[in-house]
Amino acid sequence: MNLIRAILLLIFFITPLKANTIYNLIKIPNLEIYEINTKNKLKYFYAVRPFRLGTQKNIVCSNSNKKDLEIKYKIIRENLDKYSYKYLKKINLKYIVMCENLSISELYTAGIPDNIMKTLILDIKFNEDYFERVIHHEVFHIIHLQHKEIFDEEEWIKFNNSKFNYAECSTCTKKISLKKYKETKGFFTEYSRSTASEDMAEVYSHMIFLKKKEIDKIRKSDPILSNKISYIENKIKEIDNSFTF
Amino acid sequence: MIKKIKASTSEKFIFVFLILLGITTLSAYFVVKNKCLFVKNFDPKITDFKKPNNIAILNAPCGNVIIELYPKVSPNAVKRFITLIRSNAYENIAFHRVIENKLIQAGDLEFGKKGNLDYGKIGTGKSGLGTIKSEINNNFNYTKGSVGLARTFKNDTEDSQFFIILQDEPLFDGEYTPVGKVLYGLEVLKKIKHERRSEYILRPDFINSFKMLN
Repeated sequence: MNLIRAILLLIFFITPLKANTIYNLIKIPNLEIYEINTKNKLKYFYAVRPFRLGTQKNIVCSNSNKKDLEIKYKIIRENLDKYSYKYLKKINLKYIVMCENLSISELYTAGIPDNIMKTLILDIKFNEDYFERVIHHEVFHIIHLQHKEIFDEEEWIKFNNSKFNYAECSTCTKKISLKKYKETKGFFTEYSRSTASEDMAEVYSHMIFLKKKEIDKIRKSDPILSNKISYIENKIKEIDNSFTF
Repeated sequence: MIKKIKASTSEKFIFVFLILLGITTLSAYFVVKNKCLFVKNFDPKITDFKKPNNIAILNAPCGNVIIELYPKVSPNAVKRFITLIRSNAYENIAFHRVIENKLIQAGDLEFGKKGNLDYGKIGTGKSGLGTIKSEINNNFNYTKGSVGLARTFKNDTEDSQFFIILQDEPLFDGEYTPVGKVLYGLEVLKKIKHERRSEYILRPDFINSFKMLN
């Protein structure tokens, strides 16, 4: 027992020093500051080298070139500037990590939210057509994780047609298109049909992304989506009464 | 009969040179060994402070570190800090986490006490007074010498551990509860024992004493 303890201590003391403030804060290696002086206090980091995360190192992301970063940072910043510091504090989001080819267990993903570390990792090379909206989709996941008690999935499921069932998980289905339906019928996109949580995120992101006129039109024409929109609106108000879509 | 041989000028020169070299080597050995040799020690008694009631003096191996506490910025955190200082809780507590020229951390009252160090648990100890709520202040800039309370990844877990930064750390702004700033003695902190390969220190330096000025 003492020998094992001694070996563990030896390993502990010869581990190379990672005297990196960003690593100490959010436990993601190989990052550097992109911008930290923002009005809403969001701190933007970028990968300078590929990194692996998680206990099984199953989250992988690569570094990007300067030009891509420049372009995508502007888009990300423009979208996230919509959120006030007060709102971001309530949802526990502070750090944005920009990298490319983000995957979790070899499945490519647009973003990985981590409310505990106040961090959202974004794949800057994610589908160009939906990139902006997806930023808000991922922000919703942070909100959902941080305020699980507010968003009741059972209640949400009841908005749908009684015969409808979500998939077991967001990656258990091939219904992953993010293209907005022309006729919504209770769902904004095919991906909305995957899980209740993804459905909520899709509703939230469309509420942020679409013009008020379009949302009002959907409210009038689609009673299921109208309920879902009102639900998200009310729940977000519970978190921050001053927030407007 | 033994013939007396006179040393030549060059031999005399080499002899003197060797003696000088020996003296230099010996003195250099002692100078290098004494890490505190060129560190200025500040005497708080000969300094006038604007707010003497908010001055704390931490005595480390190389001298005094004079810290001004900010009760207006973080009232609860400073209250906790002063409570622990006045009860001498920080005496003989290790500087257990040191990153050269970046940060020093101390204050693990449970596992960081001299003679009772637990290397397996150091950094996770508690004071016994319970945790306090984070007092995050976005207007406080973590510049060189800032003192803050350490916490786990979650807010509202501050207890007795504190850190002092040895360089500006803008990423700490709005992240950690500030308690004060070092007025004098940053050089003393830079001499605290650090390792090149680990943040956590084997056979660390200890706080000799930590007292309020008044």
